[in-house]
Amino acid sequence: MGDSIRPDEIDYVIHERVRLAIVSALAVTPELSFNELKEMLSLTDGNLSAHSRTLEEAGYISVEKTFQGRRPLTTMRLSTKGRKAFQRYLDMLRQVIAQGDSSREAP
Amino acid sequence: MNREEAQARMQEIQRIMERATLWTLLPGTAAVIGGLLVLAGCAASYAMFRSLDFADILNLSLRGQVAFCVMWFAIGVVGVLVEVVFTAQAAKRQGLSPSIRSARVAAFSMTPGVIVAMVLTFKFLIPLEPRREEIQYIVPVWMMLYGTGVYTAGLFSLRPPRVLGITFLVAGVVALLAFQEYGLVWAAASFGLLHLAFGFYVLSKQRQE
Repeated sequence: MGDSIRPDEIDYVIHERVRLAIVSALAVTPELSFNELKEMLSLTDGNLSAHSRTLEEAGYISVEKTFQGRRPLTTMRLSTKGRKAFQRYLDMLRQVIAQGDSSREAP
Repeated sequence: MNREEAQARMQEIQRIMERATLWTLLPGTAAVIGGLLVLAGCAASYAMFRSLDFADILNLSLRGQVAFCVMWFAIGVVGVLVEVVFTAQAAKRQGLSPSIRSARVAAFSMTPGVIVAMVLTFKFLIPLEPRREEIQYIVPVWMMLYGTGVYTAGLFSLRPPRVLGITFLVAGVVALLAFQEYGLVWAAASFGLLHLAFGFYVLSKQRQE
C-alpha cells in the first residue's frame, strides 16, 4: 500500500496554492479585506480577484462590497461550507502524512 | 499527493494561519485598558502640578518628583503586563502558542525604540540641574519612538498597527517642533485617546462574524 491519495479525493478548489492560502488566512480571522489579503499573501489584484471568485462560486467564502466614505471596501469571510471543506482538506493531509509514516515503519 | 507534499502543505498552512492570527492577537482590550491608565495618569499629573507642561514637575518637591516618576513607570509596566496577559489568552483561545514566530518578531520590533525612549527619559530627568526644554521633549520622544516601533511591528501584521504607528510618529513630530509645552495634552491625546480608539476599533472588527 502506497502513501498516495487518489486524485478524486482531493478538493481542487481548495488544493490550489493561492486559494489554499486565502482559505487558511480566513479560517483564523472573522474577516479580511481585499487589500489585507493582498498584502498578507503578496498577490496581485488580478490574481486575488480570480481566485476569490472561484472560492465564492464554490460557496466557500462570502464577499461583501461596501463603501468606506467614498472608497470601495471588499471584505471576505469563510463560509460554513468553506470551513467544513477546509477541515476535510486538513484531515486528508493528516491522513496522507500518517499513511506515509506507517509505510516507512513497516518492515 | 505524497507524504512530502502533504507535509509541505501543512507547514505552509500553519505559516499563513500564524500570520493571519496576528490580527486576532491584536490587543484590543489591552489597548483600551492602557489608554484608560494613561488618561488616569494624566489626570493625576495635572492634580500634582496644576499645569499642562511636564516640565513643571521641577516645581514639585523631590518626593513629589519621585512619586510622579514611579507613577508613570508603574503605568508603563502594568500596560505591558496587561497586553501580555490578554495576548496569551487570545492565543490560547485560538489554540496557538503566544510565542509564535510572527508575534515574537512583532514584539521585538518595538523593543529598541522603547529602550531608546527610556534612556533619553533618564538622561533628561536625572541631571542635577535638569533643563525645562529637555523635559518637554520626553513626551514627543516617546510618541515618535513608540510610533516607530508599532509601525515596524505592523509590517508583519495588518494595517491597523501601521496606521496607529504612523499617527503616533506624525503627532510626535508636531509635538516636538511646536507645542511641546503641552506635554500632558499630547500624552493624553496619543497614549490615552489613540489607544482607546485603536482598542475599540480592533474589538469591533474582531467581534464581527
